[in-house]
Amino acid sequence: MVDKTKVGFEFPAYTMRVEEAKIAEFAAAVALKDNTNEINPIYCDAEAAKKAGYRGIPVPPTFMTSFFFLTGGLKEIIRTLNIDLGRLLHSEEEYEYLGQIYAGDVITRKMRVVDIYERGKKDRGGRFVNVTVLETEVINQQGKLVGKVRSTMVER
Amino acid sequence: MSLIFEEINIGDVLPEYTAGPLTRTHFVRYAGASGDFNPLHHDETFARTVGLDRVIAHGMLIMGIAGEAISSWITQKNLRKFHARFMSMTEPVDWDDLDGTAKRATIVVTGKVVNRFEEKGEKLIRCDIVVKDLLGSRKLDGYFIAAFP
Repeated sequence: MVDKTKVGFEFPAYTMRVEEAKIAEFAAAVALKDNTNEINPIYCDAEAAKKAGYRGIPVPPTFMTSFFFLTGGLKEIIRTLNIDLGRLLHSEEEYEYLGQIYAGDVITRKMRVVDIYERGKKDRGGRFVNVTVLETEVINQQGKLVGKVRSTMVER
Repeated sequence: MSLIFEEINIGDVLPEYTAGPLTRTHFVRYAGASGDFNPLHHDETFARTVGLDRVIAHGMLIMGIAGEAISSWITQKNLRKFHARFMSMTEPVDWDDLDGTAKRATIVVTGKVVNRFEEKGEKLIRCDIVVKDLLGSRKLDGYFIAAFP
């Protein structure tokens, strides 16, 4: 059964610094490169980033996911929403880019539960899965909302 | 490559972006980089307890690879929105059966322009993206919106 009472729940805000080395590591991981010498230089070289029109070293498009995982988000949602890790599936992810995030920024993420519902399974009549939708505001050290994340989690 | 707004037409297909074959080492590197240490992605014994034969890729690794494809098509700072729906699991290559498993572990990102419009003074395009493996199995459906300042 889904626990609708958690809709609207706000998780504690977390603040973390965007480390330069972590950007390069992430860029290498999604480019399937063994080391950071092989990645797009905008993700590891401030001069290359400036030449490409960035104020500093930018983050790759899906980097905002790390503001969830590196702050213990996975364990937190499992505990708070009483989800079984073995049945948890990530079903959708959406990023809205409202500003740039650079190396050295101090980012605060504010996550809340925006929806919980049951969804019927197409292939298995009468069976339902629990769906949880989370929204996160990503705010930089100047208080600017630089991104929004919408994550849909399914307990199969 | 960089696209020019005036030269883009609805229906245009973007260059295919191929990545892989994905290995367990790629999963471990992504786990460390992103902080997602769900054991489903690196610990085979855990994967078996939930009914899987082996570890699977993070959906977010597949989305991250799609993000690389997008960055190869447009200037990343002009990205306005990126949406992904995860369609099926991706298994890594087995080193003791490379020929038999490389296709399931190699993914291809394709993109197609589905809209070209102006909003709040910005020139924008919307592109649908699809990620499949070399066996044709669909991994991710999504879209992105990019601006042309």
